Amino acid sequence: MSPRPEAPARTRRHLLTAAAVLFVLGLTVWSANGIGVSLVELFSNLGRMGRLIDDSFPPAWSFWPRLIKPLLETLQIAIIGTIFGSILALPLAILAARTVSPSRPLYWLNRNIMNVLRTMPDLFWAMLFASAVGFGPFAGALALTVFTVAVVSKLTSESIESIDMKLTEAVRASGGNWLETVFFSVLPQALPQYVSYVLYALELNVRASTVLGLVGAGGIGMVLNTQRTTFQYDRVTMIVLFVFLVVMLIEQLSAAARRRLV
Amino acid sequence: MAGSPAIRFRQASVVYPSGVRGLDRLDLDIPHGDLVVIVGLSGAGKSTMLRAVNGLVTITGGDVEVEGRSVRSSRGKALRELRAGAGMIFQDYRIVRRLSVLQNVLVGRVARVPTWRQLIGMWPKEDVELAFDSLDRVGLVDRAYVKAGQLSGGQQQRVGIARALAQKPSVILADEPVASLDPVTSRRVMEDLRRINQDLGITTLVNLHFLDLAKEYAERIIGLSQGRLVFDGAGGDVTEGDFAEIYGRHMTADDVLEAQVAL
Amino acid sequence: MSATIVARRPGMPRSLWLGLTLLILLVWSFSGLEIDGGRVAALPKTMARMFGLFFPPDVEYGRQSVVPAILESIQIAWFGTLVGAALSLPLGLLASANLFPRATRLVKPLLAAVRAVPELLLAIYFVPVVGLGAFAGTLAIGLHSIGTLGKLTADVVESMDQRPIEAVAASGGGALSVLRFAVLPQVLPEIVALWLFRFEISLRASAVLGVVGAGGIGGVLLNTLRYREFARAGAVVVLTVIVVLAIDAVSGSIRERLVRE
Ligand SMILES: Nc1ncnc2c1ncn2[C@@H]1O[C@H](COP(=O)(O)OP(=O)(O)O)[C@@H](O)[C@H]1O
Ligand SMILES: [Mg+2]
Repeated sequence: MSPRPEAPARTRRHLLTAAAVLFVLGLTVWSANGIGVSLVELFSNLGRMGRLIDDSFPPAWSFWPRLIKPLLETLQIAIIGTIFGSILALPLAILAARTVSPSRPLYWLNRNIMNVLRTMPDLFWAMLFASAVGFGPFAGALALTVFTVAVVSKLTSESIESIDMKLTEAVRASGGNWLETVFFSVLPQALPQYVSYVLYALELNVRASTVLGLVGAGGIGMVLNTQRTTFQYDRVTMIVLFVFLVVMLIEQLSAAARRRLV
Repeated sequence: MAGSPAIRFRQASVVYPSGVRGLDRLDLDIPHGDLVVIVGLSGAGKSTMLRAVNGLVTITGGDVEVEGRSVRSSRGKALRELRAGAGMIFQDYRIVRRLSVLQNVLVGRVARVPTWRQLIGMWPKEDVELAFDSLDRVGLVDRAYVKAGQLSGGQQQRVGIARALAQKPSVILADEPVASLDPVTSRRVMEDLRRINQDLGITTLVNLHFLDLAKEYAERIIGLSQGRLVFDGAGGDVTEGDFAEIYGRHMTADDVLEAQVAL
Repeated sequence: MSATIVARRPGMPRSLWLGLTLLILLVWSFSGLEIDGGRVAALPKTMARMFGLFFPPDVEYGRQSVVPAILESIQIAWFGTLVGAALSLPLGLLASANLFPRATRLVKPLLAAVRAVPELLLAIYFVPVVGLGAFAGTLAIGLHSIGTLGKLTADVVESMDQRPIEAVAASGGGALSVLRFAVLPQVLPEIVALWLFRFEISLRASAVLGVVGAGGIGGVLLNTLRYREFARAGAVVVLTVIVVLAIDAVSGSIRERLVRE
C-alpha cells in the first residue's frame, strides 16, 4: 500500500479565506448600519404598502393619450444618442485598439479618457448637460451620446484587437498605407461586431432614456416626475407599464435584428 | 442471490423517444466475476446496453436484472441504490476539473454518506480511507490533493476508475474507456480494469472499439449490431470471419490498436 | 433567409436599405427634438465654461457632504447586491433549462420582467413604503439584481460542462449531490465573479437613486447643480469618478483571479 500524502498545508489559504469572509461580513454590517436596514420597519410598513397598491391600481388607463408624445420624444432621444454616439465611437475605437492604433500616446490618452467617461452613470451626464444647456430633450440626447461613445468604443476596440492581423499584414505588404489597411482590412472585419454593439447600445439607451426626465433631460421621465411628486401613483403605474411594454418591444426587435446579423 | 447471474437481460428493449431502437429484445446472462467485452459498430447499441444496466436509459420492453433486482421497476431511492452498486466509467472521464482528485473519488460515496455530510464536506473517516484505497489501486495516491483538471487524460480516466471503485460496486460498466487515449495509455487502463476484475472479482462489462484489445482482455465477447445480439463467444475463439459478421465488413487498420501504434 | 434574398429587388443592397432607414429615423428624431444648429455649435463653449466652474472643486464641501453621500451609495450597492445575489442563486438554478426543464419556463419570464423595470422606477415605488432614504434604494437595487443575476446565473449553468451531472447520478447521487459535486464546483467561481461585476453596476445605479430621494450621492449632485454651486458639483463629480475607478479596479482584479482556474 502506498503511503498517504499529507493533506497540503492550507494555513495560508485558510487565513486568506478567513480574511475574505471577515472583510465581506464587515462590509455588510457596515452597510446595513449605514442604510438603517430593518426588517421590522419593512414589515411594520406593510400597511403603507397596502395603501400604495391601492393608489397604484388600477392604473390610470385614460392617461395614455398624454403619454404618446413624451414617449416618442424618449425614443427620439435614444435614437439620436445611439446614432451620433456610434459614429463618434468608430474612429475612437480604432485609436483605442492596441494592434491598429497609429500612435502609442494617442492610444493611452484615448483609452484612459474613455475609462473615466465610463465611470460616470448616464444620469450624471444628463444632470450636467441639463444644467449646461437647459432642461429638455437636447440635454438627454447629449448625455446618451457620451454614454454610447464610451460603451461602443470600448467594445469595438476589443473586437478590433481580436481580428485576424494576417489579412491586415497582407494589405500592408501590397503597399497599402495605414488608412488603406484600416479601410480595406480592419473595418470590414470588425463591422458585424460593431453593428451588433450599436444595437446593444440602442437597447441600453431606450431603457436609459425613459428615466432621463427625472433630472429634466426630456422624454417620458419628465411626465413621470410630475406625477410622482404629486403622488398620483395610478398615473405613475400607467407610465411604468407603458415604458415596460416599449422597452420589451424594442429589445425583442433589436434581438431579432442581431440574430439576423450573425 | 445464489443462483441468479450478476446481470440478466430478459428480452430487454430500449426505444428512444425519437423512435430509434437502441436495444432490441436482448437475452443474455452475465455470470459473477466475468470480464465481458462488447463490440460493434458505432451506433450498434453498446452504450445503450450498458446504460440499461444502471437505468441511465429508460427500458421500454422486457427487463434487466442486476443481482436479481429489476432495473425497470426501480425508482427513486431503489434506483439510486441500484446505481450505487454499479460503477460506471465513461469515455470522456466525466470528472469535475475544478475539484481535487480525492473529492472526485469521494463522489463514488454519495449514495452511502448522509447528504448533509457531503454538503459541508465532512466525509466519514472510513469513506476517505476507501477513496484512498481506490486511488491506490490505480496508482494515483500521491496526486490526491491535486486539482483533477491538471492531470493527463490517462490519469483522469484512472480517477474515473477510482471513483467507480469507491462505490464498492458489484458491477463495473466501462463505456469505451480507452477511446480517448493513446495506445500505450490504453493498455495501462485495460490492465487496471483486468487487475481489478481478477483481484476483487467485480463483474465487468467493457465497450471496446479495438478488436485486438477485445481479444486480448476479454473472457467473453458479445457482438451487437442494430441493437441485436449477433455474436457471443469466448475471447480467444473469435475469428476474422466473426468480425466480418459483427461489423458487416472486413477488418481494417482502424479496427486494431497495434496498427495505431505502428503509425 | 432565402425568401428575403429572393424578395429583395436587384440594385438595392442591404446596406442601402439600412442607410435609408437610419436617415429617416435621424430626420424624424431631429424634427421632434427641435435641435437647432446654433445650440450645437455653442456646445463646446458652454461645456468648457461649466467644467471651468467645476475647478477648483470645493474641498471642504467634499469632505463634509460628498464623502458621506458616496459612502452611502457604496453601502446601498453592496447590501442590495448581496441580498439580490443570495436570492438570485436558487432562482437562477431554477431558471436553468438543463437542471429544471419545467421550472425554467416560469422563472425565466419572471426574471425578465423584474429586469425590465429600471432601478429608479422600482425606487419610486419603495420610497412611499419605507420612506425617503437609503433603505428604499437598497430594496430597488436588490430587486433589480435578482433579475439580472438570476438570468446570468442560468446562462452560466446552462453553458457549463453537463457531463459530470450524469457521472454523479450514475454513482447513485440524488439532486443535492449532483448540485454539490457536478454543478456548484463548476459554476461558483464564475457566479461570484458575476456578483462582483453586478456590484460595480449597482454602484453606478445607486449613485443616481438620490434623484428620487432614495439615498446616496445623486441627490447631492442634483441639488448643487440646481443652485448652480459648480465648485461643489465639481467635488461630487471628481470624488465619484475616483471612487468608482478605484472600486472597479479592485473588483476587476478579484474577478480575474476568480475565473482563472
Ligand atoms: N439519447 C438518445 N436519443 C435518441 N437516440 C439515441 C440516443 N442515444 C443513442 N441513440 C441512438 O441509439 C442507437 C444506439 O446508440 P448507442 O447505444 O450510443 O450506440 P454505440 O454506443 O454502440 O455507438 C444509435 O442509432 C443512436 O443514434
Ligand atoms: Mg457509445
